[in-house]
Amino acid sequence: MARHNMGTIVSFEVKRTLSKTGFWIATLVVPVIMGAVIALIVVSNTSAAAGADQQARAQFTFTYSDASEYVIPAVAEAFGGISVTDDEKSIADVQAGSLDAHFAYPTNPAEEPTKVYAAEAGIFANGKYAAIASEVLIASAQAALDDQSLATLVRGDFQVSSTTFKEGRESAGLAEVIPPLLILLAFYASILLMGNLMATSLLEEKENRVSEMILTTMNPTTMVSGKVVSLFMVGAIQMVAISLPVLVGYLFFREELRLPYVDLASLSFEPWPMLVGALLLVGGFSLVTTTLAAASAIMPTARDAGAIAAPVSIVSFAPLWVGALVLSNPESFVVQILTYFPYTAAPTAMIRNALGTLGAMEATIVIVELFVLSSIIFRIAVRLFQYGSIEYSQKVALKAAFAKHE
Amino acid sequence: MASSLNVSGAVSTVSEDRSEPIVRIRGFRMDFDGHAVLRDLSFDVERGETFGFLGANGSGKTTTIRALLGIYQPTAGELLVNGRRFEPALGSNLGYLPEERGLYKKESVITVMTYFGRLKGLGKHAAASWSMEYLERVDLADRAKVRVDKLSGGEQQKVQLGVTIMGEPELLILDEPTKGFDPVNRRLLLGIIEERRHAGATVLMVTHQMDEVERLCDRVLLLKNGVAEAYGTISEVQAQYGGTTAKVAFTGDIPDSPRYRVMRRENNYAELDLDESVDEAAVLRDLVQAGVRVRSFATGRPSMDDIFVRVYGGHDEPDEV
Repeated sequence: MARHNMGTIVSFEVKRTLSKTGFWIATLVVPVIMGAVIALIVVSNTSAAAGADQQARAQFTFTYSDASEYVIPAVAEAFGGISVTDDEKSIADVQAGSLDAHFAYPTNPAEEPTKVYAAEAGIFANGKYAAIASEVLIASAQAALDDQSLATLVRGDFQVSSTTFKEGRESAGLAEVIPPLLILLAFYASILLMGNLMATSLLEEKENRVSEMILTTMNPTTMVSGKVVSLFMVGAIQMVAISLPVLVGYLFFREELRLPYVDLASLSFEPWPMLVGALLLVGGFSLVTTTLAAASAIMPTARDAGAIAAPVSIVSFAPLWVGALVLSNPESFVVQILTYFPYTAAPTAMIRNALGTLGAMEATIVIVELFVLSSIIFRIAVRLFQYGSIEYSQKVALKAAFAKHE
Repeated sequence: MASSLNVSGAVSTVSEDRSEPIVRIRGFRMDFDGHAVLRDLSFDVERGETFGFLGANGSGKTTTIRALLGIYQPTAGELLVNGRRFEPALGSNLGYLPEERGLYKKESVITVMTYFGRLKGLGKHAAASWSMEYLERVDLADRAKVRVDKLSGGEQQKVQLGVTIMGEPELLILDEPTKGFDPVNRRLLLGIIEERRHAGATVLMVTHQMDEVERLCDRVLLLKNGVAEAYGTISEVQAQYGGTTAKVAFTGDIPDSPRYRVMRRENNYAELDLDESVDEAAVLRDLVQAGVRVRSFATGRPSMDDIFVRVYGGHDEPDEV
């Protein structure tokens, strides 16, 4: 009967949550905003690329004087430049509008600025003059080198391949860090998006005055379990709803968005970090869910419950406030506190797990801590719901809820 | 529609001794903040009877029911349903209409009813078809897909009663079932309760409507100062409370007398409570000799309404928690 009822509760809760307009607004507001930003970036990048092409095609005439003698006339000529010695005259021509630009290369361009005088072409297009002035100098310097490979090296146009070893085997580097970090992302997204839902999960029965009918129809443990499971399911649906537009954006608009190419095949899903990450995610989510559910059993209104939800959410972001310390010195006192304090333990351990600085013993302790605490708080939530859910207009007195009677 | 709704669902999973009372309360005490709301309450509700649980506001009726159903932890005492402490997970077949009414307000009527039907162990289709049948009976079939908060208060009460009696529970606990109903709907509701009673259900009813008590209840308990002030059949309680009432239509002033007590006086009508030993003819003679023009004089047992007024004296008890 209890299992049957739990299925009924989960089905009822999930369906009615998904049928609420407010839920979809809250869920889709992030991807919709992201979509709008993506669209803006695509449009902007497209027009910027078109503009750049246009600028590249738009030739302009310029003169130049070269005190450094680094500029090779043939190179400058290829860019449309004419060598002159009288700067004053060229500047006057530019001012008069009979010449597009004049570049004055100093004796030592490495230490002194190259001066560019040019006709106004608009705030964005003005950049082309400095760009050509630089390009003429770079191309001349490269041409002066006999060895083209050397010229490539001077431009910094070369690759470095790193191989690192961890515990005697080759490490996948960043590709190994990304998948466990995605779990952290899922954790934070769920807290941000579902905090309010969690904090009002048991409040609806109280606000609708159905608590008594519920309590005489089913075991309160079944009720609270059903609520928690439905929150897990709604959270999973929310993750899919949010991830889908991101995935579409990456797969179909990566070039336009100038997103870095991530070779998905190169991502390394190491079993241990992924397992630890998954357990931390479930444990952390359970702890926050049961805590907020317990809070909702105490509070008379959603507003009051929200007052508890906010600090719990904020505290869970503490590891990010001291992110540099978590990355650089995981053994520090502060990071150790964050690793074991229940409401910061999951995210801190997730970061350290991704970076490979969370030992097996530490991981075990944190996971056990999260699950044991979740279980205790779950029992508290059940008790508070059982003996507090008919306190319709005031906070539940904890002393009364936990009072021992014969 | 059929005179009764016949979809039974939830089945009791624990063997029961059918000869035992369905509800047994012994030595029940309930303290709130050190104050005893109920002191030493004991009573039984027998199977198949309709039991009136009566008392002034704040006398502890709802508290007793909540403790019986495990919502409150009793300070002391034994409160049993079917011989054991109430535990919904054990499959006790109970229908409870609480004093504090409520439903999931943002869901449709049929969704809410089907949900509760499922929780009571009915199949999805059985719950839905039972609900539709019930809604037709109470003239709400066309409101089945309407959100609960769009219904009037009386309509919501009808829906809640439907949820309560769904699954043919063997024990119905109704806390002021007709509160807020107009006379037409009240009659409809009492008809449904009576129907469940004839189908064999036990009804434990809290009400302040004494005509309902006289119409429906086999036995009653009057709760006062945390203990049972009176407990028994209607006749027994009537006998316990003064025996005879004289209803007098008159002109003039009814004098004070040691033979009777004036229970009610409205214009030219009065109800007198006579002591057991008093001769009714002597009372009539006293009235006439005092110059009262008596137009009619009839004696009988006191009504439950009279008894209620006599017991509680028109005063509520301190607020119930």
